Amino acid sequence: MNIILIFIAATIVNNLVLAYFLGICPFLGVSSKIESAVGMGLAATFVMTLAATVTWLIYHYILVRFNVPFLEYVSFILVIASLVQIVEMFIKKFSPDLYRALGIYLPLITTNCAILGLTLFMVLREYNFLESVVFGFGSGIGFTLVLLIMAGIREELEFADVPEAFKGAPITLILAGLLALAFMGFSGIISTS
Amino acid sequence: MNIIVISTIAMGGLGMFFAIILAITNKKLYVKEDPRIEKVLEALPGVNCGACGNASCHDLAQKIVKGEAEPHDCPVGDSEVTENIANILGIESKEVITKVAIVHCGATEKIRKKRAVYIGGQTCRVADIIGGEISCSYGCFGYGDCVTVCLFDAIEMVEGLPVIDLMKCTGCGQCVEACPRNIISIEDFSKEKLTSTISIACNNPDKGAVVRKICEVGCIGCSLCEKNCEDGSFYMDGMLARIDYSKVYNSEKWDLVIEKCPAKTIKKLGKESKCVCVTHP
Repeated sequence: MNIILIFIAATIVNNLVLAYFLGICPFLGVSSKIESAVGMGLAATFVMTLAATVTWLIYHYILVRFNVPFLEYVSFILVIASLVQIVEMFIKKFSPDLYRALGIYLPLITTNCAILGLTLFMVLREYNFLESVVFGFGSGIGFTLVLLIMAGIREELEFADVPEAFKGAPITLILAGLLALAFMGFSGIISTS
Repeated sequence: MNIIVISTIAMGGLGMFFAIILAITNKKLYVKEDPRIEKVLEALPGVNCGACGNASCHDLAQKIVKGEAEPHDCPVGDSEVTENIANILGIESKEVITKVAIVHCGATEKIRKKRAVYIGGQTCRVADIIGGEISCSYGCFGYGDCVTVCLFDAIEMVEGLPVIDLMKCTGCGQCVEACPRNIISIEDFSKEKLTSTISIACNNPDKGAVVRKICEVGCIGCSLCEKNCEDGSFYMDGMLARIDYSKVYNSEKWDLVIEKCPAKTIKKLGKESKCVCVTHP
């Protein structure tokens, strides 16, 4: 039951992008087309799940055991950077089109605060191993979901009559704000974070 | 002391572990790129200006190697670049047409009439939004936005007007984009022969009397150039004279036309004042 709760909380209620405002960079940068948004979301989900798994192991079996928990930031960044590198090589090999569509945002997953934020939340909330993996996966799915919603709206927006001054970034930011407001409506589902 | 040793070992160990994993994946997932792409990329100017319509020089290089683009598709590269690329790929290059930017305003700082005092942002784009201080609503502000965007150092501000170095200009069109008043246009030339050319240094389509009031050197639309040069090199576009760069070739007539122009709107550009062969594709 707890695990389902964590999953729903990570996906919808405490969505990293719309509730914590983490990972805004790819949220605005890669959400102009649905295909690239899905690609980005899946890449991020992969990195998030693996990062949660590996960082939990590292935190509990290395950092806590040898009493050096202050290394969490450095070691977590190291894990995330390595995972992103692997994902990048993987995508370059198997989907050059997606690689080109994601462009600079793919290596930028490394510095995506959503992923570091997720690993730090995991430590802060003292999840056990299974909970951490579910939390990581759920956050990734939540990220993908939001990116997908955003991309869908932005594709429709292409045909909308947007006032000249609001074209491009301004209307996107307004959209992001409205989406965040809408997601606030989920906050009643689960009371604790 | 102990904690430092432990930290070092822990971080070093983790670093090593991930380095090994990365090394292995890199070997396994290595993507073999056509070596010619790298060579073509080296031959291209490599400033990623986007004038060819691709996101980067690398994209164009990829397309050229694949055969989706021609060696002369780089509008910035001159004939040498095209030839180099053609040599790398072992195909013949076609004749190159060079594009050069031409400025259509001749009102220098001194000539420009002002209708207000402007203390706003010192860029053309900002001045254009507010209206700027100069009377002519088609003329050059002289803040040099075009100089800033030029990737090739081909534009210089002389007496408040942009002067384009015809040898350095590659016709990439960045300045055309940057100019809020659309004073600069891109014209086709043949590079080997291009040492200098002429331009109608005015972009004001208003009637002669209106232009005369605000600018000494503005085109008043008298159409004398059209009449004096009967071969059609000059033509009237409403109340504004224009040059058909595909027909202008007779240097003697140019001198006559320039001399007869009552407002002295037609300017010679480039270093050599004599010929000026302008040919068309």
